[in-house]
Amino acid sequence: MKSPMTRVTAGAAVLALAGSIAACSSDGGEADGVTTISFLSWTGEEQMEPIIEAFEEENPEVRIEASYSPPVAEYIQTLQTRVLSGTAPDVFVVAAENKTNLIDAGAVVDLSGEPFMEGIQQFNLDTYGRDGAEYGLSLSSWAAGYAYNKEMLADVGYDSIPETWDEFLVLLQDLQDAGHTPFLESVDQMPTTVSAMLGAKTSEMDPSLDDEIFAGESTFAEQWTPILEEYNRLYTEGLVSPDVVALDGDQVRDEFANERVAIINAGPWIINAVQEANPELQWEFGQVPGLPDGMPYQAGAAAPGYAISASSDEEKQEAAKTFLTFLASEQGVEMFHEATNDVTVTENFTPEVDPVFEPLVTPIRDGQLYLPMIAWQRDEDVLNVEAVAQVQRMIQGQIGPEDVAAALDAKLSS
Amino acid sequence: MPSMTRAQTPEAPATRRRRGTAGGGWKQTTINRAFLVPAVVVFLFLFVVPLAQGLYWSFTDFTGYSPEANFIGFDNYVRILNDPSMLSGLTFTLLFAVGTTVLVTALAIPLAVQLNKAFVGRNFVRSLWFFPAVPSMAILGLVWSYILSPLPSGVLNTLLADWFGIDAVSWLSDNTLARISVILVGVWAQTGWHAVLYLAYLQSIPAEYYEVARIDGASPRQQFFAITLPLLMPAMVVSSFLLLTNGLKVFDLPYTLTNGGPGFATYTITQSLVVTGVGQGEYGLSSALAVMFTVAVGVIGFTQLRVTSRIGRRFA
Repeated sequence: MKSPMTRVTAGAAVLALAGSIAACSSDGGEADGVTTISFLSWTGEEQMEPIIEAFEEENPEVRIEASYSPPVAEYIQTLQTRVLSGTAPDVFVVAAENKTNLIDAGAVVDLSGEPFMEGIQQFNLDTYGRDGAEYGLSLSSWAAGYAYNKEMLADVGYDSIPETWDEFLVLLQDLQDAGHTPFLESVDQMPTTVSAMLGAKTSEMDPSLDDEIFAGESTFAEQWTPILEEYNRLYTEGLVSPDVVALDGDQVRDEFANERVAIINAGPWIINAVQEANPELQWEFGQVPGLPDGMPYQAGAAAPGYAISASSDEEKQEAAKTFLTFLASEQGVEMFHEATNDVTVTENFTPEVDPVFEPLVTPIRDGQLYLPMIAWQRDEDVLNVEAVAQVQRMIQGQIGPEDVAAALDAKLSS
Repeated sequence: MPSMTRAQTPEAPATRRRRGTAGGGWKQTTINRAFLVPAVVVFLFLFVVPLAQGLYWSFTDFTGYSPEANFIGFDNYVRILNDPSMLSGLTFTLLFAVGTTVLVTALAIPLAVQLNKAFVGRNFVRSLWFFPAVPSMAILGLVWSYILSPLPSGVLNTLLADWFGIDAVSWLSDNTLARISVILVGVWAQTGWHAVLYLAYLQSIPAEYYEVARIDGASPRQQFFAITLPLLMPAMVVSSFLLLTNGLKVFDLPYTLTNGGPGFATYTITQSLVVTGVGQGEYGLSSALAVMFTVAVGVIGFTQLRVTSRIGRRFA
C-alpha cells in the first residue's frame, strides 16, 4: 500500500508534467505578447549566439529558439526532414545545394520588396532568387583565386600574378626552370581556374552562359571546350603534375605554407592556417589570369541566405522578418562579420579583412564571382560530381577537353 | 502388446499435464511468442516499411522536400542503367568487396594461428593488431591520404626516397594504384578484427586433436590443413559474410581517401546513393539504385552463404 506522501508526490509530478505540456503547447508564451520563432542555424552556436542575444535584447517581443546543424550535408538533410515532416523552422538557410528544391516545393517566402533586402548586393539577391522573386538574405560572399609566394616570384622577376593566361604559363615555366614547383591546384572540387575562366566569360554574356545551356540554346561542348583546352595546357605542357588529382585543399595549402610550391589555388579559409604554420611567409592573393578574350576573374559565390518558411503562420513570419531586419542592419552585419570573418557585401558596413586577401575584396563586393554549381539551374550536385571526375580524367590524359564537355551534356540530357 | 498399450494409456494424460506444466501449453506459448513482438515490430518498422517505401519511391519523382510524388514507371531504373558512373561505381564496389574478403581471410587465419601461440607480450601484440578496427574508417582514410600522398612530401614517398632513393609514386593519382591502395587500407583495417574472430574459434578446438596428430607423425602443415582449417569453417562463414556485406556497402574509406577518384576509379555505389539522394534530393532515383543494390547484395550474400555452407559440410 502506498503512503500518503507517495501519493502527494505522484500527484505533484503529474501536475508538473501537465503544466509543462501546457507550457509547450502554448507556443512559447505568445499569450504574454512574446512571439517565439524557431531558427535552424548554418553558422555555429559560438558565432551565432551573441547575435541572437543582441537581437532579443533589442526586440523583447520576439524570442528565438535556435538549433544548430553543421553545413553542408547534415544541415541539408536536417532541414529536408523537417520541411517534409511539416516541422520546418521559421527561419533557416537556403544554400546552393537546396535552393532549387526549396523554391520548387514552395517552402520559402518571397522576400523581394522587403526593406531589409534593399542594401544587399544584387549578385547575392540573384543567387537566391528566381523569376524576380528573392528568397534568401545573403549577407556575405567568398572568393577563391591564386595565393602566391612573393619571394619565389621575385626570384624569377615577377612581383604579382600576370593578368593574362599566356603570361601566367610563361611565369610557371620560369619558376620550374628556377627549380621551384610552380603551381598546385586541388581538383577534388571544380578547379578554381576553370570556374574563374567561365566566370569571366559569362560576365560578358547576355543571356548568361548557363541560361543558354539550360534553355537548350547552347551546350557545354560549345561553351566549355575552349576554356578546358586552355586549362589543360597546364598538364600537357608539363607545368603541373597530374598527381594533383589526388590532392585535397589541405594538402595543397600545407605545401604552400611549407614553401614547397610557388602558387596555389585558395580562398580566405587558408589564411589562418598558413599564417600559423609559417608566420614569416611573404604571400598574397591574386586573381586568376584572363584568357585572350577575357579578363582576370575569381571563383566564388554568395554565402547561403536566410529564408523564411512559407508554412509558418503570419505572426511568426512577421517576427522572422524582424529578425532578418536586425541581421541586415549595420549592427547585425558588423556582428556577423566579427563572428564569422566573412566578407560582408551590404552597403551599410565595410568589412576589414586580412591584408593578404585585400586584392580579392573589391571583386567580392562587386559581385564578380562565379561558381558553376551555384549557377547551374538543376542537377547541381550530379553535374558537379560528373565534371570533377571528368576533369580528373582529362588531367590524367585519359580523355580530351571535348570529352569532358560532352559528358556534361550527356548528363544534363539524361 | 494390448497390455503394454493399456499400461501406457494412463500415463498419456500425465505426460500432457507435464508438458502443460513445463511448457505452459497455449498460454505459455502465447507468452513466449509475445516476447518476439518487440523484435518483430522493430524489424517491421526499421526494415520492411523503409524497404517497401523505397520500392514505392523508386517508381516516382519524389524529391524529399514535398510529399508530392508522381508515378514515372521505370524511368529511374533506365537512367541508372544508362549512367557510366553508376557502372564504374558497381565495378569498384564489387572489386573492393571481393578483394577485401579474399585478402582478409587469407591473412587473418595465419595471423590468428600465430596469435594463438604462447609468446612474451602476446596480449599486447593481439591488441596492436586489433587497434586498426577501433577508429572509424573515415578517420583512417584521412590519415592514409597523407601517408599515400603522391607528392614527394607524402609520408610513404619520403620514406621510399630516403631509404631506397625511389622517385615519388603516384599512389592515389593513378587509377590502378588508387584502387589497390584503397583495398589494401581496407584489408589493413579489418585483418586484426577478423583474426580475433578466428582466434575465438581456434581456442575452442580441443588440444587433444593436435596431440593425437603429433603422435601420428603429422607435420605442422598437415595439422593446419587437416585439423585447424576444417574446424575454422564456421568462423570463415561468419567472417566472409561480414566482410562481403561490409565491402558491398563501403562508403567512408574511399570517400575520405580518394573521394571516389581519380575520375570514377574508386567511386562506390553507396557514394552514388548519398550524392544523388541526399545531395541532389533525387530520392526517386537513389531509391531505384538502392532497390537494385539490395537485390544484388541479397543474391551475392545468399550465394556466398550457400557456397560456404556447402564447403563447410564437406569439411565437417
